[in-house]
Amino acid sequence: MTTTKVENRLCSPLILHRAKRFLNIRTLRGIVSLIGFVVLWQLVVVFKVPYLHNLPYPAEVAETGMQTLGKKGYWLNWGISLKRIFAGFIIAQLVGIPLGLAMGTSRVIKDLTFPAFEMLRPIPPIAWIPLAILFWPTPEMSIYFLTFIGAFFIVVINVLQGVTNIPVNLKRAAASLGAKPSDIFWKIMVPGSLPSIITGMTVGMGVTWNVLIAAEMIAGRGGLGRMTWEAYTNNALPTIIIGMISIGAAGYLCSSLIRALGDVAMPWKKRF
Amino acid sequence: MKKTEQNKQSFGEIKVEGVTKTFLDEGKQVEVLKDCTMVVPRGKLTVLMGPSGCGKTSLINLIAGYEQPDSGQILLDGEPVNGPGPERLVVFQETALFSWMTVLQNVTFGPSVQGIPKAVARERALQILQTVGLKDFKDKYPSQLSGGMQRRAELARALINEPKVMILDEPFRGLDAMTREIMQEFYVNLFQETGMTNLFVTHDLEEAIFLADRLVIMTYKPGKIKEVIEVDLPRPRHFTMITTQRFNELRQYALELLYHESTKAFADGCKSAFDLIDGFSRGGAKREAM
Repeated sequence: MTTTKVENRLCSPLILHRAKRFLNIRTLRGIVSLIGFVVLWQLVVVFKVPYLHNLPYPAEVAETGMQTLGKKGYWLNWGISLKRIFAGFIIAQLVGIPLGLAMGTSRVIKDLTFPAFEMLRPIPPIAWIPLAILFWPTPEMSIYFLTFIGAFFIVVINVLQGVTNIPVNLKRAAASLGAKPSDIFWKIMVPGSLPSIITGMTVGMGVTWNVLIAAEMIAGRGGLGRMTWEAYTNNALPTIIIGMISIGAAGYLCSSLIRALGDVAMPWKKRF
Repeated sequence: MKKTEQNKQSFGEIKVEGVTKTFLDEGKQVEVLKDCTMVVPRGKLTVLMGPSGCGKTSLINLIAGYEQPDSGQILLDGEPVNGPGPERLVVFQETALFSWMTVLQNVTFGPSVQGIPKAVARERALQILQTVGLKDFKDKYPSQLSGGMQRRAELARALINEPKVMILDEPFRGLDAMTREIMQEFYVNLFQETGMTNLFVTHDLEEAIFLADRLVIMTYKPGKIKEVIEVDLPRPRHFTMITTQRFNELRQYALELLYHESTKAFADGCKSAFDLIDGFSRGGAKREAM
């Protein structure tokens, strides 16, 4: 049943069209770029380019990579890192979005919170690491706190900006049409600032990964950052590179997730 | 026609009585409106013109209830206006459609926040969308519509609430010339069918005369009413009227009044007065061509 269905789909003109589009000249150039990179890497090692001659061969990394992919511990590290990311990130949204909306809609709340907020915001999240380690009882909680910090300030500032940038005419039009303040908040302010909320999430997710990796290297047990750091202490160069690639892939995956979330939440932003 | 006469009673009349409004601009008190008095009569299309910065938008914000006058009062059928409400609806210069709602959701926004049952609102909305020619576009988002369609959607969103007065603040600004003419004709037909009280602000003198029953010309700083011109062109209006002698007489007369005020604004360094003077010279060139 399933096979015929798949075959049918494969043969459909749409799929063929897509396959053709996938194999167009620009995709080919992209493939050339990637192959070129690997060839360059190979040459660097073969010709023992100064300072870079310690690099493992691409094939060596690929082999270690294949082995690593089969290990349970590796995937455990993925799980640990993702859990830390999402714990901090989700709490940051739960606290940050309402705070940003409140600051954007109430002058009193903004006056009371914004100066303190602006004093803390410029501190790079990584600078919170020592305090976080001392302050929280377990290293795990310290890391949750740090990933939270990574996303929190960016979320709040984006939501605040989103709310402030809603054209005054939209609020006026809504008020004229009979909207009560609660209608204006839920039906105008919230959806109107959604694009900024999603932007905040996208940027926040990037920063959260930065902070997480630093935090794991310093304080963590397990996780992709720790894995990479331990590979360094063991002088296992191929594993360092596998760690780096994994972190990149994980970050990319998380950003794609946010983008997908944005597409679902904002159907009106779709390109037509 | 009879129906229109009956409907007229349900439309409102706006009285602006001795309204003064001052703004604080860079620490300076600027008197935008001073002792401004005018009437927007029931069932008439009143067009408001004046140089940029003469307080047209301020006057509209006051009538809509977004702002309160410093002194004087604004009355709708004798009742003072205290805030925004669906009996005085505004169609704004740049589109104020909610971009996150479909056309249908935009149009039913008013009824839904006013607590009118969904099914009733939907049916009424579909009727109105049919009238403005957007029925097939009801599930589109505003960004998927052309400029002209957006303005029609906005008109529909206002009309569904059966306002007593419609206020339009340069609603056709930014549309290309062709769409603009079509929209003007569409709007003037709509007005002729409903006979609703309308207050229409524009920078375009031809548009003003083509649409208006009464053309109100404002002075520059402080803004008050300079003169009211009764536009006695017959209805229904048609675009061929633009070339009639009476149309040209009215335009010439209004142009002189406006020109005087605009040069005042110009001398005052009001940047946007350039638009207006520019607009006049183009109007003049067109006339010569004819």
